[in-house]
Amino acid sequence: MSDHSNISGARSAPPFLTAKSIFKSFGGVHALKGVGLDIQPGEVHGLVGANGAGKSTLIRILAGLERPDSGQLMLDGKDIVVENAQKATELGLSFIHQELALVPSMTILENIMLGSKKESRMGMVNWPAIARKVEPIAKRVGLTQPLSTNCSKLSTADNWLVSICRALVHESRLIVMDEPTASLSAAEAERLFAIIRDLSASGVAVLYVSHRLDEILDLCDSVTVFRDGYLVTNFDKASLTRDILVEAIVGGAVESQSIEPQDFSSAEVVLAVQNLSRYPRVRGISFELHKGEVLGLGGLVGAGRSELARLIFGADKKDGGKMMLNGQQYRPKNPSAAVAAGIGFVPEERRTEGLILTKSLAFNVGLANLSQLQLSKFLPLTNQRARSKLAHDTIAALQIKAQGIDAPVGRLSGGNQQKVVIGRWLARSPDILILDEPTRGVDVGARGEIHRLVRQLAADGMSVLVISSEPDELPDLCDRVLIMSEGRIVRELAGDQISRNAIVEASYAQDLAKTA
Amino acid sequence: MTDTDDQSLPPIKNRGSKILLGAMARYGTIVGLGVMLLIFSVLSPRAFPSVSNFTNVLNQASLAMIIAGGLTMAVIVGELDLSVGFNASLAGVLVTGLIVQNHIPIFLAIIIVVAVGALIGVVNGLIVTKARVNSVIATLGVGTIVVGLNFAYSAGVPIVAGVPEVFKEISLGRFHGVPHNIIIMLAVMVLLWILVERTSIGQAIQAVGGNPAAARLSGINVDNIKIFGLALSGACASLTGVLLASRLGSGTTSAADSYLLTAFAAVFLGSATLRDGEFHVFGTFIGVLIIAFGFNGLNIFGAPTYSQYIFQGAILVLAVGLSSLGRVLAES
Repeated sequence: MSDHSNISGARSAPPFLTAKSIFKSFGGVHALKGVGLDIQPGEVHGLVGANGAGKSTLIRILAGLERPDSGQLMLDGKDIVVENAQKATELGLSFIHQELALVPSMTILENIMLGSKKESRMGMVNWPAIARKVEPIAKRVGLTQPLSTNCSKLSTADNWLVSICRALVHESRLIVMDEPTASLSAAEAERLFAIIRDLSASGVAVLYVSHRLDEILDLCDSVTVFRDGYLVTNFDKASLTRDILVEAIVGGAVESQSIEPQDFSSAEVVLAVQNLSRYPRVRGISFELHKGEVLGLGGLVGAGRSELARLIFGADKKDGGKMMLNGQQYRPKNPSAAVAAGIGFVPEERRTEGLILTKSLAFNVGLANLSQLQLSKFLPLTNQRARSKLAHDTIAALQIKAQGIDAPVGRLSGGNQQKVVIGRWLARSPDILILDEPTRGVDVGARGEIHRLVRQLAADGMSVLVISSEPDELPDLCDRVLIMSEGRIVRELAGDQISRNAIVEASYAQDLAKTA
Repeated sequence: MTDTDDQSLPPIKNRGSKILLGAMARYGTIVGLGVMLLIFSVLSPRAFPSVSNFTNVLNQASLAMIIAGGLTMAVIVGELDLSVGFNASLAGVLVTGLIVQNHIPIFLAIIIVVAVGALIGVVNGLIVTKARVNSVIATLGVGTIVVGLNFAYSAGVPIVAGVPEVFKEISLGRFHGVPHNIIIMLAVMVLLWILVERTSIGQAIQAVGGNPAAARLSGINVDNIKIFGLALSGACASLTGVLLASRLGSGTTSAADSYLLTAFAAVFLGSATLRDGEFHVFGTFIGVLIIAFGFNGLNIFGAPTYSQYIFQGAILVLAVGLSSLGRVLAES
């Protein structure tokens, strides 16, 4: 394990891209401590590791967005220096990030050609000629919309296809995909996998970065694992199992923690939702949440679950229906009213909706507790001691790995950032905590910790509503699961009924019924 | 994997230059102020580095400081307030008018005028938050309306005659040798600093400026905080207008208009001070001092008036440049 440079060997072809002994540090933090990577032509290469393991840093170096402190990059056996993003493109490297770099107001064609040289006639861009060239490429990746469609009208999945087209137009030899399936439905993901296999067969290599190990196992010809900025190891497909992979990522076996769902139907009702609607995404939702219960909301991306959560939290206005909170009529005017009523919310997008990245941990934790941190009720001065105590307590309670309470949260890893967003609510001990995709983009270890925390909170009497698009997650957490589809609750699963398969099957039931 | 100590790391090449750049972005303004004071002191050892000159500069800077301090509240919540100069001009005319023509007691007149200033800020805030008009447009529009109201009230004629000495004394008087303006300015800045850095409202203000979506989902009423920030901006602008009228001994229709540019330059210089491109009260304080001492130096060396415009415009561009450099470095 201490041998960082050994990349397991018996391969016939020479690698087309090699990174060797890459070091990189930010300020005093060493992000990469001598990692390396070999990519064969046309292979699908998985890159996995916990948040903060150094995957993104290496990708940014390949993309020319960061310069390594030391180390070697080679393409076709020749040393290369990637000074900037343009150089990366020239070298045939393309990057598709989680946040897609598309201009929503521009057409598919314009987006595909963004940043590349365009054929022109008499000084004007010859779009018809370009379209004729792009069309076969679009067809190849299965993009069915006309090229003149605005990207704002496309689904996330189609936007991915547009990005892939862009890479192909540049005649890329390597496409790096960062968490491609994070916001895709299972069907869309399958479509993407088919395209990736097709690309691979035609000689385009794919560096596939994901936390979803099943995808990695299914798709990748070889897998590289990083941990804490070190290269852990490199696997061939043949030698790979899920357990081996998890162990390499975490640095030890992870205990499985399926739970025994309990029946809360006779427990006190904390929140009763009746016929709640906000068209078109939420259509007449009714359910009850009991004290101490963990209630899961399963279904496909776009089923209306996040929209339902936002209605309960007062972030959006409802079109109809009503809610009762602890037996009282509950009409939240805005999120601050919801918070005052005893509800906490951990949004889906922690970086854009959960955190103020430039501010410190203490600041971010304090945000939901401003009035509690005042010196007195009538004097809005902040009690600095209480504020740092709260921050230290949160770090201790959630085992957050941070360099003190004053470090900007933007520097924390995804899992630790998520813990900060959750931690901000704990001091208030809300009656209800809503978690929207609590472990998206979070590594295996932190995921287990967050799951344990949620169970603990429920055991202490908090009611928790969990939204998750990962069918594996809800059985680990929930006493009861509601499946949503197209804005409606289509199935309720309780007790033994809760299983991965039941959730998947129920999620697609509507789709299947329609196609049948 | 067991080997986690970092001593075996290779030397890091471009780290030094990055730290230097970062330091320049963070401490550049303060060092710049120091260097400027030093150069002026060396070049003009008699006129520049004297208690009376420094007092004079601070006194001159007080009004710009208060208006810039208020503007800082607007920019922290993420909105620009282009109405501050016009607002201050109206305040000067209104306060003298109320005192001279309506014979309202001075103290009450000042309170009314500051309240009007705050109200203008609230109107700005309502337009920005409820009608969702971009703050540049909203405050430019409201500012222009304010100019119109100002002319409607004064007919463009300065109110000079009958301004009581007591009113002029507010700005011209001294307390134990310290001009009142400096004391008022320091009080305002300290209060604003405490508000932003040490109160729960201040935390909310910073959160709204940092990430409004996250602030909202943490249970903060973003609209109210924005309105509050713009109201403070308006109140500080009108206080500046009152003090200017007191200093000039008259209410003049466009007396304070030019404070707009000074305030913006100072606020952006301030955002490049100590923090990476974040607006904050102490930064604004430094920003105003840089501009004030710069002007003072130009005056002492007999630079022509037009050079002041060039200086101020250049400072504004430089300040915004430094501020975004800070932000870029903070992200990398």
